[in-house]
Amino acid sequence: MIRLEEVTKVYPDGTEAVRGVTLQVAKGEFCVLLGPSGCGKTTTLKMINRLIPLSSGRITVDGVDIYKVDPNDLRRGIGYAIQEIGLFPHMTVGENIATVPRLLRWPKERIRRRVEELLELVGLVPPEEFSKKYPAELSGGQRQRVGVARALGADPPILLMDEPFGAIDPITRERLQDEFLRIQAEIKKTIVFVTHDINEAVKLGDRIALMREGRLVQYATPAELLAHPKDGFVRDFVGADRTLKALRLLRVREVMEEKPPTVEASKPLAEARERLERLGVNFLPVVDREGRFLGWLNRTNLRPEGRVAEVMTPYSVLATPDTPLNEALSLMFESAVGNLAVVDGEGRLRGLLTFRRLHEVLRESYREEGQG
Amino acid sequence: MRRRIVFLVLLGTFIGLAIWITGIGKLGIYSTFTGQDLLRETGVHLKYVGLGELIAIVVGVSLGVVVSRPWAQRTRLSTVVVGAAGMGQCIPSMALIALMAPILGFGLWAVVVALFVYGLLPILRNTYAGFRSIDPAIIEAAQGMGMSRGQIVRRIELPLARPVIMAGIRTSTVVNVGTAALAVLVGGAGLGRIILTGVLSRQPLITLQGAAPTAALAIVLDFLLDALEDRLTPKGLKVKKSQA
Repeated sequence: MIRLEEVTKVYPDGTEAVRGVTLQVAKGEFCVLLGPSGCGKTTTLKMINRLIPLSSGRITVDGVDIYKVDPNDLRRGIGYAIQEIGLFPHMTVGENIATVPRLLRWPKERIRRRVEELLELVGLVPPEEFSKKYPAELSGGQRQRVGVARALGADPPILLMDEPFGAIDPITRERLQDEFLRIQAEIKKTIVFVTHDINEAVKLGDRIALMREGRLVQYATPAELLAHPKDGFVRDFVGADRTLKALRLLRVREVMEEKPPTVEASKPLAEARERLERLGVNFLPVVDREGRFLGWLNRTNLRPEGRVAEVMTPYSVLATPDTPLNEALSLMFESAVGNLAVVDGEGRLRGLLTFRRLHEVLRESYREEGQG
Repeated sequence: MRRRIVFLVLLGTFIGLAIWITGIGKLGIYSTFTGQDLLRETGVHLKYVGLGELIAIVVGVSLGVVVSRPWAQRTRLSTVVVGAAGMGQCIPSMALIALMAPILGFGLWAVVVALFVYGLLPILRNTYAGFRSIDPAIIEAAQGMGMSRGQIVRRIELPLARPVIMAGIRTSTVVNVGTAALAVLVGGAGLGRIILTGVLSRQPLITLQGAAPTAALAIVLDFLLDALEDRLTPKGLKVKKSQA
């Protein structure tokens, strides 16, 4: 656990980079320090591993004041990742990753095994091949993976990450973020992560510490930050589209209508018409005998005779229960009927996502603020 | 490849000249130096350059490391030291050697110290430049992972700055091969003795008999140090960027 108490940094010229920041990061929690450039987030991060000395206040790691330990011992116990330019260009990927284990004088064989394990973890396979390469032989995304692997070198319980994905193109960045979330779910480190990108913060953080001019403005979960910004600055920073950003935090399974009415493909159209009228809807999802989703029955396509399968519109898009809501929303606009079918791994219909349902859910979480 | 051809042609020309003049033997009342003389003076010449460079490398690299520390840059020590070393080079080489003699006595040490002063600047300047050219993010990463100052210098900064430092050593050496010919002015020997003999006896061929091996020596040392520079450049700095 990391605790910052009234942490302040004043430079000799009088600039106050950080003023009285107090926050706590629980064990295994992913804390994002977020804010515009010059807000003191990087300074705050670097004070945790003593790259920047404190002016006043106190920082403890697992209850121990960081100024009671030798700085190099402290740093060897805290993983540190910065942008890919921080790799040592004259060392191979393997040597880079082995930096801290070597400082800790691990036996050679243990280091070798650890390097391979980490390369596999960050998806640089085969490890024997990547281990021998030099940073200049890798792409930006691969270098960043090495940076993460290097920070994890000696399996430290804490990771400090300073905009590690900042210099990467947006597509690769998304992928690295997804991978990193997967890795974090596995290794459960206590992480302090600096970024100026609200989307990255919302996607990665368990909690977001939003900073401005050296002060901590709001420290909250992403959902809380988006739903209830504390003041105008937070509201502006998270953006006018904060409702849409919040969608990313929800999964389809939390919002979908479960067990929606369906119609079987083999049924006669007359029966289908009756069902549509009884339910008062214009569309019905069409399934096969095993409940697998096939497409949509549109009221306007009904004919006096025949079977559902003959007039049904095959589906163009699908979601799974784990699809983030922001992606689901985008799919809904692509869908021919505006509703989205949610299927499981076997293709069986699990639920339905409708605009009406989406509206209800969002209105609910933002109601409080609307009244205020 | 072309470099290598130029190197061989030049080297062949100078060595050929020296051998040819040595073979002439008699020039009127004068006689040319023997092959043995040439080898001996070349050896002495090499000793001057070697000793001077050795001290220049030790002092230059150490000073370079010191002045590239952040505190030295904050306190402007870097500017002062690099400036002072620059002044050493501003003094004409002939005057520098001549000034050393009254201080250190005639002979070996006057020559070696003059060569050290003269060869220091390129090494110091390149060491400083080599250290300064390292991306601060690399140093910060090393620090953030818990490397001590000494470990950062040895494992990170020196290897990364090595190619630039080596280039400085090469420049310094090649310049000093020429400067060492002035050793004869303060009672030293070396190839300068042959050159001076030629000048005093008005025998241009004898002057050439000393000048040609001097040039050959500079070319050979330049070539060898270039090869060494390449060997000492970390592999990771030589690999091509992949487009992956």
